Amino acid sequence: MANVRNKSSNPVFWVLMAVILGIILFPVYWILVTSLKTPLEVVLPIPTIFPRELTLKNYIGVLQSGFLKNMGNSLVVSISSTLISLAISFCAAYALSRFRFPWITNTLFLIWILVVKILPPVVLAIPLYTMFNAMSLINRILGLVLVYQVYTLPYCIWMLFGFLKSLPLMYEEAAQIDGASKSATLWFVVLPMMRTGLVATSIFSIITAWDEFLFGLLFIRTPALRTLPLVIADYIGEYETLWGNLMAIGMITALPILLFSHFVYAYYTKGFALGDK
Amino acid sequence: MQRNSAFRRNSFYYILITPAVLLMVWLTVYPVLDVLVLSFYDYNYITDVRKFAGLKNFQQILSSELFRDSFVNTLIFSLAATLIEVGLGLALALAFDGEFFGKRHFMTVVIFPMMLSTMVVSAVWKTLYHQDIGLLNSILKQLSLKPVGWLIDPSRALSSIIIVDIWQWTPFTFIMLQASLQSIPREIFEAAQIDGARYPQIVFRITIPILLGQILLIAMLRTIDTFKLFGKVYALTQGGPGNATETLSTFIYREGFSYFNLGRAATASLLTLVIVSLISLFYIKKLVQEEGPNG
Repeated sequence: MANVRNKSSNPVFWVLMAVILGIILFPVYWILVTSLKTPLEVVLPIPTIFPRELTLKNYIGVLQSGFLKNMGNSLVVSISSTLISLAISFCAAYALSRFRFPWITNTLFLIWILVVKILPPVVLAIPLYTMFNAMSLINRILGLVLVYQVYTLPYCIWMLFGFLKSLPLMYEEAAQIDGASKSATLWFVVLPMMRTGLVATSIFSIITAWDEFLFGLLFIRTPALRTLPLVIADYIGEYETLWGNLMAIGMITALPILLFSHFVYAYYTKGFALGDK
Repeated sequence: MQRNSAFRRNSFYYILITPAVLLMVWLTVYPVLDVLVLSFYDYNYITDVRKFAGLKNFQQILSSELFRDSFVNTLIFSLAATLIEVGLGLALALAFDGEFFGKRHFMTVVIFPMMLSTMVVSAVWKTLYHQDIGLLNSILKQLSLKPVGWLIDPSRALSSIIIVDIWQWTPFTFIMLQASLQSIPREIFEAAQIDGARYPQIVFRITIPILLGQILLIAMLRTIDTFKLFGKVYALTQGGPGNATETLSTFIYREGFSYFNLGRAATASLLTLVIVSLISLFYIKKLVQEEGPNG
């Protein structure tokens, strides 16, 4: 702003930047080093900032405890709930953005989507639990995939609705004039143009499902069916100081998602630029 | 007849939206209605006794100290976290406005905390906060200061959880505000500078008023999200010590899934729903006006 030009030459600016990076990165660094420390070093009364001895024992121990199964659960749940949401919400968002349903259905539907996004999920927990229990969907991966639609579906509809509204209509109109059917237009004209929007939406949806904790806690009982956040919560509650293993799990849980951060940053900056058009 | 053919012409759109409507009705509309009905019933899941109770649940919940504590804690958490996150985010956005060497990489790293799972974040802070062998208390001891009961002192526990949320989510307010700041035309600042305005004047008289809409929107998003607080409490304090960190979400969870008082849990859910809707009414209105089909 006012002092843009002299920013890079101002040492205070770089000191501030170092402090911010330190605060942000230290806990991430702490996850990494704790995961590489020996069990004895973890419980020293004065924690060591730099580990004296590096070990991969924690990772090996974690992998041997059936952790890969849990990782698989997390992958299956977040990817399949996202795919289901993406397909259903793409269709719904297209209908909402291109057609006026009678009365004020469009507005009502969108308001309801927002209300669901805003609600603390625990508000729906009791009826959903009773319902899923009656349908024998408790303690099953399928149940989790279905219940995660409570998060991912409203989210995907809202995002894709925004993307579809910003799409120029002329290509669809041209296709219709050339005699393409509505479904052909949707499949061959709109879908390819929506690639960026679909990728962005699916990444955020995967992150949401990957992180979800509450319904996992309520719906899953068998340890082998747990997702990663549940395994972490279990470790925190069960073992006071088995931190090496805990942080190894944390590291493996965090890594795949951290790879998205470049993309997420680009999306937020670009998303805003689009909105200000 | 004509109506019928119009329907057939548009049946494509009806077919497209049907799966979404069915799923939303099944997973959200029906449960909300069920909560509404259930809140007037005395229903214990274990004994499976269900009988109409009128307003008894409401009386019990509203006069329950635990519910009041949970509500107040949620409110404090939500307000404090939102205010600090938005304030810090704005300050950072101003400090790191414009171009500088390595900005893209810096910003990519800055958003790490919000990318991490809440459970991973809670786990690492739990180790940092540990009373005897946590890093924070060990630093305090080395500085000859008294150790702090971060998570076990009732007067500290809630603020310790607030700190975790600030660490995790200030990056979000930062990048959002930094993006909106970037979209203000530079000429405005240049003109103000030529007119002799000093930096603080520019910030308080020009930048903040221009960004006010965005600031409120981001504050609203954070308020809504912090109102859902559950995972961090579950992992860090389990609502304790005492009731110091009980929230509306943990209250409902406890009533429903530890005591199996489904009626009372439904009543608490309903009250939470009303509170959250009232808080976010402004937000919904604004977004529907902007994004909605009539906008």
